[in-house]
Amino acid sequence: MKKYLLKRILLIVPTFIGITLITYLMVRLAPGDYTTLKAGLQGELRAGSVGMEILEQERKLYGLDKPIIVGYADWLGSFMVLDFGTSRKDGRPVSTRIADALPITLALNIITIIIVYIISIPVGIITSVKKDSAFDRVVSLVMFILYSLPAFWIGLLLLMYFSGGEYLNIFPLGGIMSDWAEEPGFWRKLLDIAWHLVLPVVTLTYGSFAFLSRYTRANMLEVINQQYITTARAKGLSEARVVFVHAFRNSLVPLVTLMATLLPGLLGGSVIVESIFSIPGMGMLAFESILARDIPVIMAIAAISALLTLVGILIADLMYALVDPRIRLESRI
Amino acid sequence: MILRIPEIKGVLVTAVLLAALVCGCARMTPPREADALYLHLGAEPGTLNPITATDAYAATINEHIYENLVERDYDTLEIVPRLAERWTISPDRLRYRFYLKKGVRWSDGVEFTADDIVYSFRALKDPKTASAQLKVYYIDVKDVRRISRYVVEFTYSRPYFLALEFCGGIPIVPEHIFNDGTDFNTHKNSRFPVGTGPYLFSRWDTGKKIVLVRNDKYWGKKPEIRKIVYKLVPEINVALQMLKKGELDVMSLRSIQWVRQTGTEKFNSNFYRLKYYLPRYNYIGWNARSELFSDKRVRRAMTHFIDREAILNKLLFGLGRIVTGNFYIESRSYNRDLEPWPFDPEKGKALLKQAGWSDTDGDGILDRNGKKFSFTFTISSGSKFGERLTSILKEDLSRAGIEMNINRYEWAVFVNKLNSRDFEAVTLSWSLGYGGDPYQLWHSSQTERGSNFCNFSNREADAIIEAARMEFNEDRRTRMYHRFHEIIHEEQPYTFLYSTPALVAVSRRFDNVKVHKRGLNYLEWKVKGK
Repeated sequence: MKKYLLKRILLIVPTFIGITLITYLMVRLAPGDYTTLKAGLQGELRAGSVGMEILEQERKLYGLDKPIIVGYADWLGSFMVLDFGTSRKDGRPVSTRIADALPITLALNIITIIIVYIISIPVGIITSVKKDSAFDRVVSLVMFILYSLPAFWIGLLLLMYFSGGEYLNIFPLGGIMSDWAEEPGFWRKLLDIAWHLVLPVVTLTYGSFAFLSRYTRANMLEVINQQYITTARAKGLSEARVVFVHAFRNSLVPLVTLMATLLPGLLGGSVIVESIFSIPGMGMLAFESILARDIPVIMAIAAISALLTLVGILIADLMYALVDPRIRLESRI
Repeated sequence: MILRIPEIKGVLVTAVLLAALVCGCARMTPPREADALYLHLGAEPGTLNPITATDAYAATINEHIYENLVERDYDTLEIVPRLAERWTISPDRLRYRFYLKKGVRWSDGVEFTADDIVYSFRALKDPKTASAQLKVYYIDVKDVRRISRYVVEFTYSRPYFLALEFCGGIPIVPEHIFNDGTDFNTHKNSRFPVGTGPYLFSRWDTGKKIVLVRNDKYWGKKPEIRKIVYKLVPEINVALQMLKKGELDVMSLRSIQWVRQTGTEKFNSNFYRLKYYLPRYNYIGWNARSELFSDKRVRRAMTHFIDREAILNKLLFGLGRIVTGNFYIESRSYNRDLEPWPFDPEKGKALLKQAGWSDTDGDGILDRNGKKFSFTFTISSGSKFGERLTSILKEDLSRAGIEMNINRYEWAVFVNKLNSRDFEAVTLSWSLGYGGDPYQLWHSSQTERGSNFCNFSNREADAIIEAARMEFNEDRRTRMYHRFHEIIHEEQPYTFLYSTPALVAVSRRFDNVKVHKRGLNYLEWKVKGK
């Protein structure tokens, strides 16, 4: 076990270097760099814009004249000592920018994941137990309808109808906090944030039910037809015990695979939801820095999600052994 | 246990009740301040350092915090004093001496002096400063010298009719704050500006808002509005909803919003809808370096194929004016005698025929010496206007026997293509200054590495541009520019499209809201009922 763990942890190092190197290559090789954006924004150029000589001078300033491999080595060197550099956009440390955006994204994602799991897994179990019943069909249909509704549309509709003032005026029009909520008062503040998060969370969750509930349902169905389930029923166990203890536990193994995506998933934000609801989260940060070729920010986000993904996969593998004693780790490398 | 449907319903009901409770509590929102002005910010500026800031958002905010030596009058667009009391110009028009107002203080109490100007100029010119967007304007400024505590002198290397504007318009930052040995580009006060203007920086909640408060020690006339809040709302439809709900006071509208979403009586009773023209226009640029568009007859023909009137009505709801040339339509330089080339496909075909293009093989596409008339139109992928314009063009041009392909690139890549001149046709817009010097856009020296990326080059035009730069008599310069405008009209390096107006909705909570040539001036607004 220890040997396995050590091997796996050592393997993370070259994988991580590979991922970040490719990311860095892509960013640097993509046409356009930070300085070209000085010419103007989205379709409107400023008269005169900029002379090429001056742009080249500026390129030097950002180290864009150095060979790519040197640039990567520089980056990796500072990353090792946890220095992410400064953002090209506002000259602030990248770590500050991420620290600004991360809490709200984490909060949104954790709430979303909890809601999705709480609703989807029971629904998956019920629909598998009552396979082909009217309930199963209706639920499947509803979930797939939800799944197919685009978030940018639903988000705007929710805002229009629930907070626009023309129809209902229950929720705020985006943002994460009211202006007045800067005054002390922990509960008031929490309540205010919760109030702001209702619509974004709805927009983030409704589309995710379909996948997880169908996934649970499929896994359950596979298990529920096994002979030991019949045996359990024949023993006279209650239906709840059969379903939850005998069937559900055994259907958990494939769900563990999902855990691997959970960790990096916490970090990622949705550009669409964030821009509709004016939420300054990770999605917008990543999106804007890619458009602006803000290399330090792009690299920091990519590196952190790469690390989390790698760790997530490792944890998932360890979890396999935990939920299924038949799996031996030593043989899996 | 298994959750049954009634139980799920129960959970839902509880959730709704809980939500209602949450809302009930949270809706005890205190009323918003009456003498605060809430403005819409579509994207967040990176910095509020006027020397390194590149975006328009930073410029609109900084305008209230920082001041220049001179400014343009809101109505006449004449250059008038601001931080400078007066100025003198040497007879050879190379030296500009500014006499500063005395007793002007930075918001931290330190006096504003000539040293701040000298320092700002040095910082701007420093190769280590990320100010490419400004450096280009100060290439000809040789030196800035302190004559005394309140007098500063700029030296130009050659006479230039806009020198006064550029010298007087140099962004000024406080030396005692920025010259502290730390890196200028990432200086902490780039996000905490200290200025001399009518408003003080108060706070910046990244991703949410930027707040300014009135400078009660301001040397000039103090505005009535006590507080300005720039709210960051990236989604423009949401911003409109906030405007309607009263959470924003001012917002720039898109043409579709102007026409379709803000015309109701209710809206008009709550908001002024203002429309004014700023110096900007959009166009289709034909790359004269490409084989097809090096011939001016072909470029003219393209203009004849494009029904600008119809496109204006269809895409921009008629909100805009067709332009014939490069100058600001409200300025004297703009030659009003010129009529836009009419939509006339027959004329276009005749011109192409003259240029040697005809359909010899009968495949419906024009050709010359065995080569087809086929080109690629490059647009930036976010541009809705570009997208719709090109699909109309493709249709119209195919009727004239021209094959047009469309290529979309992300903005950074698109700018790269412009810089490397790697395109055949593009659509873009220019935002100009009020001065209107065509040098950087149209002089042939700028075709290699400057902004003249369509490679327009004409000897007479070059001569006019050069002479006009040194012509200080406005009447004579205007005549020169009228001739230049004629050449541009004749040569059609661009198919000039429209100057589109700024469309702004302003809450009727405010009075004395006037539209000037330069736009809106919040400093003069009054709060109703005060």
